[in-house]
Amino acid sequence: MEYAEFEEKVKRTLYVDDLSPNVTEAVLRSALDQFGTVKSVQFIPNYLGPSNLPQRALVEMAEPKEAKAIISVLTQFPFMVAGMPRPVRARAAKMEMFDDRPKRPGREIQYCWLKPSDPDFQVAKRLKHLVQKHSAESALMLKQQLLKEEELAKQQAQSLKANYKKYEMVDSIVADGRVSKLAKYYNQMFDRRFVFPG
Amino acid sequence: MVDVENLEFKWGKKRGVGGKKRDVRFYESFTYDGEEYRLYDCVYFFKDDEPLPYIGKIIKIWENPDKTKKVKVVWFFQPHEITCYLAAEEALENELVLATGEGLGLTNINPLEAIAGKCNVVCISKDSRNRQPSIEERQLADYVFYQTFDVGQRTISDKIDEKIAGIEAKYFFNREGFLKPSADQKSGGAGKEDTIGKQIPEQPDGDMKVSLSVIHDKVAPVVQEVGSEIAGTDKKDSLSGLKSSSKIDSDVREGNKAKIDDSVKVPDEAKKINVQNFSRHDSDSNAAKALEPNVKASEDKSKLAKDSHGKVKSFLKELKTDDKLTKLGNGKLPKESSVQPPKDYKKSKKHALQSMGKLDFDRSKWFKELPWEERMKNAHEEGTLVLLQNLDPAYNSADVQDIVRQVFKETCTAKMFQRTAFSNPYYGQAFVIFKTREVAQMVVTRLDKGCLLLPNGRPLVASIANPSFPKKQSTFSGHLTLDKLKLQTQREMKEAVSTSHCSQPNTLEFDMAMEWCLLQERAECSWKKLFELQEKEYRKVKAELKSK
Repeated sequence: MEYAEFEEKVKRTLYVDDLSPNVTEAVLRSALDQFGTVKSVQFIPNYLGPSNLPQRALVEMAEPKEAKAIISVLTQFPFMVAGMPRPVRARAAKMEMFDDRPKRPGREIQYCWLKPSDPDFQVAKRLKHLVQKHSAESALMLKQQLLKEEELAKQQAQSLKANYKKYEMVDSIVADGRVSKLAKYYNQMFDRRFVFPG
Repeated sequence: MVDVENLEFKWGKKRGVGGKKRDVRFYESFTYDGEEYRLYDCVYFFKDDEPLPYIGKIIKIWENPDKTKKVKVVWFFQPHEITCYLAAEEALENELVLATGEGLGLTNINPLEAIAGKCNVVCISKDSRNRQPSIEERQLADYVFYQTFDVGQRTISDKIDEKIAGIEAKYFFNREGFLKPSADQKSGGAGKEDTIGKQIPEQPDGDMKVSLSVIHDKVAPVVQEVGSEIAGTDKKDSLSGLKSSSKIDSDVREGNKAKIDDSVKVPDEAKKINVQNFSRHDSDSNAAKALEPNVKASEDKSKLAKDSHGKVKSFLKELKTDDKLTKLGNGKLPKESSVQPPKDYKKSKKHALQSMGKLDFDRSKWFKELPWEERMKNAHEEGTLVLLQNLDPAYNSADVQDIVRQVFKETCTAKMFQRTAFSNPYYGQAFVIFKTREVAQMVVTRLDKGCLLLPNGRPLVASIANPSFPKKQSTFSGHLTLDKLKLQTQREMKEAVSTSHCSQPNTLEFDMAMEWCLLQERAECSWKKLFELQEKEYRKVKAELKSK
C-alpha cells in the first residue's frame, strides 16, 4: 500500500538540475508554480561530488500530468531560473532519486561470505575492482564536464562583455549626437528604434 | 472544577528542614490519592498531548514555605526518546534507560500533584552491586532497565555510575524490600485469571473505594470482581462487565455497603476505555464531579497500556473519596445510564492537570535527532563514516541497516545515496555511520579482505568515506551578470519574484542558452554511453560467477 503510494508520488515528481546555488525552495516553487501546483521541493544533497556541482532537486507536483507538462516545456524551451543564460534541465524522477523510499514489498536479502578457495572469490574480487574503477571513471567524467561548463561560461562572458561594449559605444555616439551628424552627412534618416528596439 | 483538596494527602516521616530560613521541610514519604510514595519510588507523570508517560525516580520530597509540594526526580527515558543514540529495535519491549551524567534531562523538579501513579521499574543490570531480580519480580515489572544514557555526553552505557544526580547507585539498583509486592503489582503479574485486589487492604467503612485496573491484554475484556461482596457473585457475572457493573449499582443501592471494588480490564484493541461504572453516578452531580478527574487519571494510564507492546500491564488506581461520596450512599440512587467518556474529555483532563500540578517542560525536545548532514560531519571526524558501494540501487536505507546488522551484528545508521544524473543507475551507494571507529575499521577491513556476496552478483565494497560538504557559493558558472543588474537580481531572489522565464528566440540570451542546451545534451549522451559501457563490463565479469 505504502509502496503503491510511493510509486504514485514518483510519477508526479520531476528531477531538476543545473540549478544555481542561489536557488532556494521559494525560488523554485515560484518558478514552477505557473505550470501547476508544487507540492514539495527536496534538494538532493551532494556529498561526494565536487563542491561546485550545480544544485539538483526533486519537485513533486499535484498531478502527474503537470510534471509531464513541465518536462516537455523545459525540453523545448530554455528555461531560466535565477539567472541566465544557463537553463535548468528537467527529467522524470526515478525511484532511486528519493531519500525516503519505502521497502519494496516481498524482498529478502540473502548474503554469503565467499571462501578464498571458492573460484568465485577471484571473480568477486575483480567485480569489486570494477566497481571502484567505474566510480573513478564517473568522477573523472564529472570533472571534465564541469571544466567544459566553465569554459563555455567563460567564453560566453567574454562575448557578452564584447556585446555590451558594442551597445555602450552605440549608446554613446547616439547620445553625443555623432550619429545624427553622420546621418545628415550621408543624407540618411536615423531612427533610434533601429538601435534600441522596444 | 477539580479540587486538589479532594484528594487525600498526608505527609509521611519528616527528614529534616532546609532552605535559608529553615522553612523548607523535607520528607521521606507521603500518601497521595490513597497511595504511599516513598523516596526512590518510581512514578509516572503525564504531559498534555503526549501519549506516553514520563517515568522518574523520586530522589527528593519537600514542601516549600508557600505550601507548594515538590518532588525531584531522576528521569528514565523510553527508547524512542533517544532513538539517535539507541536503536529502538535493539531495546527490550519494556525497557527504560536511566539518565546519568550532567545536563538537561537528568532531573527535574515537579509539582508533587503531577504524579500520576507508581511505576514498578526493575533493574536487570548484571552489575555485582545489583541484587538480581527474581523471575517473579521481572514478571511484575512494568519496566526494566540496565542501561544508562549520559545526557551530557549523549552516550549509552551499561555501567551505572557510583552516583547519579548525587544519589548513590544502590538506590538505583534493586533493593531489599523495594519490590514488596503491593496489591497493584500483584494484579499486574497475575494478569489474566486471578482475582484482582484480594490483597487490597480493607478500607474504613463509609469510604467508597473504586479501583480501576487497566490491564493491557489480548484477552477479551473481562471484568473481575474485587472486594468481599462482589467476589461472592457467580462466575458468569464476573465475566460480564455490564452485569458486574449493575451488581455494583445494586450494591450502591443497598446503601450501607458503600465499599465497591471494581476492576476493569481493557484489551489493547479497545480504544475507548470503559468507564461506565463511574458514569453511573451522574445523577449525583457532586459525586460525579468528584469522580471525574480520577476517571481521567485512569484513562491516562490506559494510554500507557496501549503502548506497552503486548506486555501485561496493570494499574490499580485507588480512588478514595471523602464524605461527598458517602452521601451518595445515603438514599440518592444513582441512575442507570451508561455514559461514554465525556466529549470534553481532553479539556477536562487538561483542567485536571492544571490544578493538580503541571509539568512545565517539553521532554521531546531534549534529545532531538541531529540533521543527517551534521551527524555525517561528526561521524566523518570520528572516523565512523563508511561508504558502501555496489549495493542494489533498489535497496533503501533500512535494507542497508538490515544487511549490516545481519552480517556484522552491529547497528548503524545508513543512508542510501539519492541517484542523480551523474550517478550510474546500476550501482547503489550508501553512507553508513557506525558506533565506533573500531567497528567502522573492522567492517571495512573484513569487506576488503573477504568477499561478501549480495544477491545478483554484487560483492559489497566498503571504504572509509571522505565526503565533501557543500559550501555556500555565490557564483555559478553559466549565469552571467552585469554589475548594473546585480542589485536588481539580488532583490528578486530575496522576494522570489519573476526569477524565471522561458527564453525567447532572436535574443542573445536565447543563443547562449542554446549553447548550454547543446552542452547538456552532449553530456547526457556521454553519461549514458559511459553507464552502458560500465554495466556491460560488469555483467561480463559477473557472468563468470558460478553461484548466482
